[in-house]
This record gives sequence, C-alpha cells and structure tokens, in this order.
Amino acid sequence: MRIFDPHIHMTSRTTDDYERMAAAGVRALVEPAFWLGQPRTNPGSFTDYFDALIGWEPFRASQYGIRHHCTIALNPKEANDPRCREVLPLLPRYLAKDRVVAVGETGYDSMTPEEDEVFAAQLQLAREHGLPALVHTPHRDKVTGTRRSLDVVKESGIDPGLVVLDHLNEPTVGEVAGTGCWMGFSIYPDTKMSPERMVAILREYGLERVLVNSAADWGKSDPLLTLRTGEAMLAAGFSADDVDRVLWRNPVEFYGQSGRLDLDDDSAAEATFAGNSILRGGS
Amino acid sequence: MTLRFGYGTNGFANHRLADALDVIAELGYTGVALTLDHAHLDPYAPDVKDQVARTARLLAERELAVVVETGARYLLDPRRKHAPTFLHDDAHRRVDFLKRAVDIAAELGAEAVSCWAGVRPAHVSPDVAWQLLAEGCAEVTGHAAERGVALGFEPEPGMLVETLADWQRLRELVGEHLKLTLDIGHCRANEPLDVADCVRLAGPHLVNVQIDDMRRGVHEHLEFGAGEIDFPPVLRALAETGYTGLVAVELPRHSHAAPDVAARSLSFLRAAQWLGDALDRLESDPAAIATLLPAARRGVGRAAAEDARVRLLHAAGPDRDEAAELYRYGDNDEKRAVLLACPAPDLVRDALRSNDTRLVAAALGPGARDLPDAEWRQGVLKSVFMGLPLSGVAGLDQRADAELGRMLAALHHERTAAGRTMPADAVELMERLH
Repeated sequence: MRIFDPHIHMTSRTTDDYERMAAAGVRALVEPAFWLGQPRTNPGSFTDYFDALIGWEPFRASQYGIRHHCTIALNPKEANDPRCREVLPLLPRYLAKDRVVAVGETGYDSMTPEEDEVFAAQLQLAREHGLPALVHTPHRDKVTGTRRSLDVVKESGIDPGLVVLDHLNEPTVGEVAGTGCWMGFSIYPDTKMSPERMVAILREYGLERVLVNSAADWGKSDPLLTLRTGEAMLAAGFSADDVDRVLWRNPVEFYGQSGRLDLDDDSAAEATFAGNSILRGGS
Repeated sequence: MTLRFGYGTNGFANHRLADALDVIAELGYTGVALTLDHAHLDPYAPDVKDQVARTARLLAERELAVVVETGARYLLDPRRKHAPTFLHDDAHRRVDFLKRAVDIAAELGAEAVSCWAGVRPAHVSPDVAWQLLAEGCAEVTGHAAERGVALGFEPEPGMLVETLADWQRLRELVGEHLKLTLDIGHCRANEPLDVADCVRLAGPHLVNVQIDDMRRGVHEHLEFGAGEIDFPPVLRALAETGYTGLVAVELPRHSHAAPDVAARSLSFLRAAQWLGDALDRLESDPAAIATLLPAARRGVGRAAAEDARVRLLHAAGPDRDEAAELYRYGDNDEKRAVLLACPAPDLVRDALRSNDTRLVAAALGPGARDLPDAEWRQGVLKSVFMGLPLSGVAGLDQRADAELGRMLAALHHERTAAGRTMPADAVELMERLH
C-alpha cells in the first residue's frame, strides 16, 4: 500500500512517527500551516514556523524517504487576532516557494467578520498564485460553517476543483458532494471520523474527489489511521486499486494541480540541512 | 504570450520521419520544421501523394504544427551541395522544387515555406545575380500566394541575401508577398545589430523562426549555451513582436544525438523564456522580485537556478531594506543568491553564524569586504574549520595578516594534538603568514 497523507502536522510529531509512517507505506505528505495549540502573538512567529515548514521539516521527512510538502496561510482561529493578521502581506513570499502546494488552512473557526475577510482574501491569493486551497471546516456549528464556506468559495470565483473542504463528516459530506469541490476526511482515534465510518461514506458517495488524512498533530491523534482506513476498505470488499486511488492517486491529483509536487525517485536525501542533522550524539 | 517551440527534422536525419515526429512530440514540442529530403517526404518520389497524406496524418495524430523547409543538401543534385539555386543556369529546377514545396505545404496545412538565395557563382555578376533571384522569387512567391501559403525568405550567411538589409532589398524587388524566415543564430553571426534588436526589426515580416546558438563571424549552428547569444531578452523580444508562428530549433549537424539534444534544447528554451519574462516584469515592477526569487528553480531548473537568481537580483536592484527582507524570507538557496548579488554586512554576519557551508562560502565572497578585520578573520577560520577551500575567499592574499596566521596555527596545533589534519591550503597559508 502506498500512502500520501494529504493533511498531517509533522512539526508536532517525533522521528518515531516518521519511522512508523514510512514502514506503513507513507511516501509523501502535505503539512498544512495551522495554529500550534497555543496562540501566537506576532507575525514573526508565523514566518519562523513557515520557514520550518519549507526547510527543516522536509529535511526530517527526507531522512525517512518521505516527500514533504506544505500549505501556507493564516489559519481561521488566529485570523481573529489583529497582531497575527499582520502576517497576511508576507504570505505571497511564501506562496511562491517550491514545496508549497496550496493556500491553507483557511476557512472558518467561529465565523466572525474577521474570518470572513481573511478567508476571502486568501482564496484570492490562491487564484493569483495558481494554487489549490485547503478549507478547514469549523468544529462547532459545522453544517452552517460548511454551507457558508461553500458560498465564499463560489463568490471568490476560484475553480471548485481547486478547493478541498476538510474535516467533513456524515452531516456535512452531502453539502459538499456535487459542488465540484474535493471532500477531505480526517480520521481520528475518538472524534471526527473513524476508519469504519469512512468506509461507509465511501460506499455511499464513491471514491471521486475524496481525500483521507490523519490530520495528526500535537493532540491525541494517530498518523497511521490512513493505513487503518485502507485496511478497513479492503476488509469491506474494496479492491487494492480502490485503496490506491483514495490513499495515493486522489491526493496526487488534487495537490498536483499546483505543479509543485515532488515525487520523483531520483533526488536522494541530503545528509544535513543547513549543516545540521537529526542525529544525536553523532554530530 | 507563450512562444510555440518546434524542432527541425534536419536534426533527426538518422531517424525515420514517423519516429522523429514521435520523439519530437513526446518531448513536448508544438511543431516541426520539416525539411523535404530524400528520406523525409521526397517531393520527387513516385508515391509523393501518398507520402504527403501519410505525413499529414502523422502530424495530426501527434497534434504537431508544421513549416516546410527547403534546405536539403543533395536532393536536386547528388554532386553539388544545395545546387541548383536561384543563381545557377538551371535555376528553373530550384523554382520547380520550391513550387512543389508550396503545394506540399498547402496539403499539409503548413504555416509557412522557407527558402534562401544561394551563394553567387563566381561567373555571375552581382547585378545579374540579383536579377535572377528577383525573377525566381517572384515566380515562387506568386505561386505561394495562389496556394495561400506564406513564403518566408531566409537570409543565410555567405549567400547573396545574408542580412536583413539584403532581404529588404529583395523585398523591394519582389513585393510584399515576400515574407521573412529569421534564424536567430545568424543574427549573432553576421548582423550589425544586437540579436534582440534584429528580432524587433524583423518582427512585422516574420512567418517562420529558426533558433540555435552561434558565435560572431562563424556560421556554425551550435547547441544552446555553446555560443554567445543571451537568449532570455531575445525570446522576450520575439514574444513582444506578436509573432505566433513556430520557433524551431535548427541543429542540422546534431542528428547523431538528436533525442538528447532535442530534450536539452526544449528545457533550455523554456528556462530562457521564463527568465526573459521575469526580467521584463522586473523592469516595470521591481517588487515582483519577492515572488520571482523563490520561483526561479521551477522556472529554469536546479542547475541554472543560482545564476538566474543573481541575474534577477541585479535586474531588480533591491535597496538595502528589500535585500534584507529577501534574505530574511529566503530559503538558503535564495539567501545565497542575495549574498552573491547584493551583500550587506548584516547579512554576511548572519550567514557566517550558520552551519551551512554554502552560505559561509558565499559570505566570504566580495560581500565580506566591509566586515571589520576581526570578524573577517573569524569567518576565514570558520571556513577552514568547515573544510571549505580558501580559493573561495575574496581578497585573501591582500587581507590575510599575522593575526590570522596565529589563529590558523592555533587550530593546527589543536588538530595535531587530536591526531587530525588541517586542509593543505590552510597549512600553506599559515606557513606563509608566520
């Protein structure tokens, strides 16, 4: 099984996770820029974070044979803090980087006017940079948030095929199916989706424009739930080719629209990043 | 506007025509410049009608556009290269061939037919030669106009019409149906103007463009990079003329390695076009450097990225603050380019603090000139410590002093005590300073 995790926050994971993911068949991933569990208070801490997403983290991933890409945006939660919004003018510099494959995570947290403004502005950035957009749907009042997100997407003029609405579940998937947008599902140990519920959704809605991710971060989460979903699909009678489509070809198709996916086998990992390695004690 | 790149089949002389079209289409070319020749659609073959129909089908299946070239060397005369021309006694055979080429072009839906004058034979006076040429050209041009085919006449070094000025003279004799085929390489070899200026001058008359590299005064078609032409501004100038026809690579002496040469050529042209467009954008919008600098590797490829970035920076001419921002928000490849193109002491200091050998090496280039001696010595010592060659340190011989010698000796002592060695160039410098 080859796996492309289209949404995972590796910054908060250990090298043990990279090792387990590689062993499970994860060969490529996308790390969306999000908040960090604790509020940031100035644009500098965003840009240092972005620098890690395009620098140190791809290096760490490469040590395990995993291709790391990222998305860049001001997330909806911190879009409400005027001190953080100052990062917006800096985003174009980062959206032009090689391994940045989408604008994201953008969307809604509490559906404030500030979030409206930042969401719409970032969809325009996606259009200007020819990039897909990763839209986070809110944890609270999710159905309303999903509908409103679809309205904003429509108003923006962006091609719906360049947009994924993420963290969908049974009550929201029907809102997105048929809009031309992609449908993202985060498989979590207890909340959001489970592998079995995901399989039921695939049965009902099919495999087209579906992305399955672990969304693993600094909270209770499991980077191998993509693998578990693949296994659950096989157990439920889906073919190996179906699994490959959902866990590899679909994310390659969606993020490939950026023209910036790097999946060639010929670029060997460097031994160090800017002179520093992940080894401890040796260097 | 995006240029449409093609490849000349005379650079695939060792391939069957169908195979050549396959390779050219697979590589991503938009079209071909088809040289009618004994092995590639012979206009004198008994089954020429079938060959034309088959070629049209091959082109359509591969979605390749086409222009017809008539520069085959021994198609009309197995003993005399390119003979007969418009200037020979039996010029009617050339005219007949070119009319056939026009007919074939019409059948193929070709965008143009190209031809040239020929070298003036010694026994033909210049006045007579011009008269012969004008008569022959008028006949072919008239036929082309009837068939609705554009006729591009190409100046060729060494021939009667070898410059744009010669072409202008011929056009006055033949009339405005005579259009222009321009070989970019020829412009470098023998036009008085800069290549991009030639393109601007030629623009309104162009129906066909050939492209290759060349050196001043030498009519030898070279692979891109092997000659003297700076292509980014040339391609930009070509796009600005509004020319929409094919820009076909003309490397008739590279058939032995055609697939590789064709692949390299297309990469080169795409990179040159990206860089030409980027440089043009910076002229009107220097702030665009903020997004062009990070995008350079995607535009020109990894190997050419650093040179392209340095060139973009020189074109943008960022002030000190913007250079600092480009450095701050750049990845280490971008930082290196900033250190090479527009260094400032603060940026050099930052780079010398890093553990990245490429940054340290770039910091010790000309940008280190403004560092105080103490910091400069520490930088040189660090580069020795990291195993970098001292040959990369700008102005080393003028600036190296006794204090640096003392520091190197201390490092050498430490290394010796640990049973390790110091690089030979550093030992040599240490001994010289003592």
